[in-house]
Amino acid sequence: MAFEPGDSLASALYREGVRTFSRSLKYHRRRGLYCGTGDCPNCLMTVDGLPAVHACTTPCRDGMRVERRGGWPNAERDLLHATDSLHRLMPVGFYYKTFIKPGFAWPVAERVIRRVTGLGSLPATTAAERAIVRHEHVDTLVIGAGIAGLEAARKAAAGTGSVLVCDEGRVGRGVAPGPFLDRLRELESGVRAFEAVMVLEAFTALGVYEGLHVPLAGDGELVHVHPSQVIVATGATEAHGVFPGNDLPGVMLGRAAAALAGAHGVRPGRRAVVVVRTEEGLQHLRTLRGAGVEIVAVAAPAALVDRLPDIGAGEVVVDGEVHEARGGRSLRSVVLRRDGRAKRFDCDLLVLSLGLSPRDGLARMALPGEAVTVVGDAAALPEPGICGHGGTVCLCEDVSMHDLSQAWDEGFRNAEILKRYTTTTMGPCQGAMCGRALSCFVASRMGDAAEVAPQNAEVRAPRTTARPPARAVTLETLAAGVHEIVDKRTSLHELHVDAGARLDRSGGWLRPFTYGDWREEYRAVRERVSLMDVGTLGKFTLAGAGVNELVDRVFPCRTDDLAPGRTRYVLSLDEAGYVMDDGLLARVGEREWYLTSTSGGAGRTDARLRHFIDRLGLDAHVLDRTAQWGAINVAGPYARDLLDRLTDDPIDAEALPYPGFADVAVAGVACRAIRSGFVGELAFELHHPRSGGPELWRALAETGREWDLCPHGLDALELLRLEKGHIYLGQDTMPDDTPAKLGMAWAVDTSKPWFVGKLALERMAALPLARRHVGLGIEGGPSETAELRGEPLMVAGDIVGRITSAERSATLGRAIGLGWIRSSGDGFPDRLMTGSGAIATVVPTPFYDPEGGRTRG
Amino acid sequence: MAELQPASPSVVVVLASIEACDRVSEEAGATAMRVAPRELMLVGDVEAAAVRRALAEPDAIIEDVSDGWAAFELLGDDAGEAFARVCELELPAEGWVQGEVARAAAKVLVEPGRITILVPAMLGTHVEERIRADAAEVLTP
Amino acid sequence: MHVPCGRCGPRPFTEFAFGGEWREIDAPDAESDFARVYLPENPEGPQRERWFHAMGCRTWTTVTRDTRTNEIG
Repeated sequence: MAFEPGDSLASALYREGVRTFSRSLKYHRRRGLYCGTGDCPNCLMTVDGLPAVHACTTPCRDGMRVERRGGWPNAERDLLHATDSLHRLMPVGFYYKTFIKPGFAWPVAERVIRRVTGLGSLPATTAAERAIVRHEHVDTLVIGAGIAGLEAARKAAAGTGSVLVCDEGRVGRGVAPGPFLDRLRELESGVRAFEAVMVLEAFTALGVYEGLHVPLAGDGELVHVHPSQVIVATGATEAHGVFPGNDLPGVMLGRAAAALAGAHGVRPGRRAVVVVRTEEGLQHLRTLRGAGVEIVAVAAPAALVDRLPDIGAGEVVVDGEVHEARGGRSLRSVVLRRDGRAKRFDCDLLVLSLGLSPRDGLARMALPGEAVTVVGDAAALPEPGICGHGGTVCLCEDVSMHDLSQAWDEGFRNAEILKRYTTTTMGPCQGAMCGRALSCFVASRMGDAAEVAPQNAEVRAPRTTARPPARAVTLETLAAGVHEIVDKRTSLHELHVDAGARLDRSGGWLRPFTYGDWREEYRAVRERVSLMDVGTLGKFTLAGAGVNELVDRVFPCRTDDLAPGRTRYVLSLDEAGYVMDDGLLARVGEREWYLTSTSGGAGRTDARLRHFIDRLGLDAHVLDRTAQWGAINVAGPYARDLLDRLTDDPIDAEALPYPGFADVAVAGVACRAIRSGFVGELAFELHHPRSGGPELWRALAETGREWDLCPHGLDALELLRLEKGHIYLGQDTMPDDTPAKLGMAWAVDTSKPWFVGKLALERMAALPLARRHVGLGIEGGPSETAELRGEPLMVAGDIVGRITSAERSATLGRAIGLGWIRSSGDGFPDRLMTGSGAIATVVPTPFYDPEGGRTRG
Repeated sequence: MAELQPASPSVVVVLASIEACDRVSEEAGATAMRVAPRELMLVGDVEAAAVRRALAEPDAIIEDVSDGWAAFELLGDDAGEAFARVCELELPAEGWVQGEVARAAAKVLVEPGRITILVPAMLGTHVEERIRADAAEVLTP
Repeated sequence: MHVPCGRCGPRPFTEFAFGGEWREIDAPDAESDFARVYLPENPEGPQRERWFHAMGCRTWTTVTRDTRTNEIG
């Protein structure tokens, strides 16, 4: 289709003779151009695959593909228009009352309804491209580059300070040539001349957030503006007229008609009835006359009658009101009323200039006390539209006056509830057209029957809450700058990649799960020697004059008896006595400690220690070494032999006993070698400076070839630790697990005068134990033991527990697991059935090397 | 345009009493960032041993923690523009701030023509990737 | 929403970890400790609470926030 320079999509389509621009949401009524300013939903179309684009504000471009939405098979001949005649069968809120029985009805109906309603479909094949994001800090943000906005910007720029002016479209878009446009251009060049002023065109303000913070959405770009003050100059729309037939194609607001006629040279109709109540309306009337539209009748208040332009043979109805608009596919006649008398006028165009409806949505989002001012038409007093006895109130959601009345009769009697029940104001226009009509309706029903002017209406029936986004925005734009996936990497990352490891996310880190065959890796640990990257552990040095008191108070076990060079397994409890984290506590010196925590709990551990230092008033320091140090676990029967090759420092059982640690140099890298028991073999966790990691790993791997060393990852670790009955916090534990429930009462010294969670444990000790974590031996069940994880544990058909970890152990020749079980009045069961029919027996842990001789070597 | 390049400054942390931190702060030649009342971060030409000697506070922790930080420099006219793509904070013309940069806890040093960003070492790759992706338009490839 | 960190000034709340309603560090016995941990005031109005500036100075700040309006101070 051809278009003229300067055409909007709407004007080009209109010139071609298109009158039906869309079909309404529910009843598939024909909709034509209405507001012309991008405020109402009537001209929303799919442009170049993107749905919900306003045709009236989108300039034409060569090669644009435009589709009308709604209607089956198409918007022009829409068979689904039949739903309009079924209007009575679908009263407001009918979907809350129907499809309840039979049960299958709703899923079927929903699929059909989804297909026949909606604003269009998303392009399935287009890859979503992330939008650019940036932050701008300015003194003044002006939203809206019309006359009022540009004047405010000029004033702000003349002072000191930076100014950002933004507008949804190009400056002057949609303004017909004339003195108004001239003034605009003059202001624009004046404003742009200032260096401290930035003008952003085609950027939509999405909302005014506390701070102040205003996000602006542009094409593929999201600008977060942080202004000290905001000036809202978003102007006003023309007021919406509600009367029977008000949504017929051919009924339009003054600006839409004037834009077509004046700016685009397209006659909006041949014979028009015009309602003029404002200055602006007079200008629109002149524009229509100038375009050759025959004016059949003009309704105007007495005060304006003398200023009407010459309308030829047209009739002037002084103080006339629109009673009804009639037509089928489009407007055919209008009934004007005055003093109880009505007269019908045949026409194909009804132009309404009813007054201003300020676009104050953004201003109403601001919290009281914030530096947000409103200028220009956006601050004007709203002028009465028409709040008639029938017609479509909410164009977006297809809600009629009849629907509102019905809802009122059903008992929904204030604006907020009516909004939610009828969905009025919940469409793309967000109440720009219908918000005031809703208030008007409520006010008129509240008490006296007299017509209420909108100014008073909003006092008696306040507008519903304005919420962002003020305009529709794509998800790609909202996603700009969002980085919720943050991957942490150890210094050995590249080595793992080069070794062909399968890396995946665990606890916020990218970690190797296996290097090929996890069962091979498992065997290497049990039979020979292996390495694992455990640099993800939380690591902390604690020191200070009051550090011993800190350590004693935050851990539930005894700490004053730990000698330098020795370590102890510690639990971290929260104030409710629940286990939050676990780790190893090492005594380094008289007033120096070293603490490790789980990988996922490092941040929390740091925050917690600082909290208690603060609240207990202790003179202690915490140095978080999680980033600064890496750690490599050397595990297996030949671990010591391997280390001996690479260190001159003594690491025999006497110099470095279990549990204990020693500061040694391995392959020239300074290490804190900590005896570790997690995997159940002779093992040394080498904590070292991050930069020395790769060298250390390579030296160990190279020298380890003598024993056929291969590294192991998290998959092998799962079985290794399971065979020792060691829990994984979060996998085997629940947020309300106490040491007693985990069978770890030995990690608590109740004789200590005070520690975090002590009183909570005391209180719970008086109650019977409700739940226990146990080791399980499993016979039968599915062949893949991994499937056992998560299965319920049952006694006589009742679920009394769950399996939290399970795996087949070749070493032990059977399937083992960990889980929890509830007590049943008289103790805990020890023989249970799983969901898939396996038998689980409670057995003591560790399963493997119960005496721990292999670890203690 | 702006350039992003990795840097490896020396970083020494001082965890000591308020008075001691005040004292070291004044005398330090390197940039002294008073992160918290009892925490000081010295970036640049500084040696932990020398600070330890000067301080003589036995329970203080004074250490070279350079390993724990990944650092990057944004250089050029558009350094500020590139930075504004990944951080909401307003930077001073000169000085330092600490806050969130691309979901990492960062320390940011500002000098004319150069912005230095320090993040915990394990987030170095993540932050570099994010800056290169989000500020692609203004960075020299 | 911005939280005024004692050291760094007002910062977006996303830079913080929320530490819950302020409560005493201790209680005289197990009974009142239960109330201390499980029965906070939870007021509709000004609430004294703890915030940890995780992305910045990593210190704890106590503020008073109105739970109805999110106004702090």
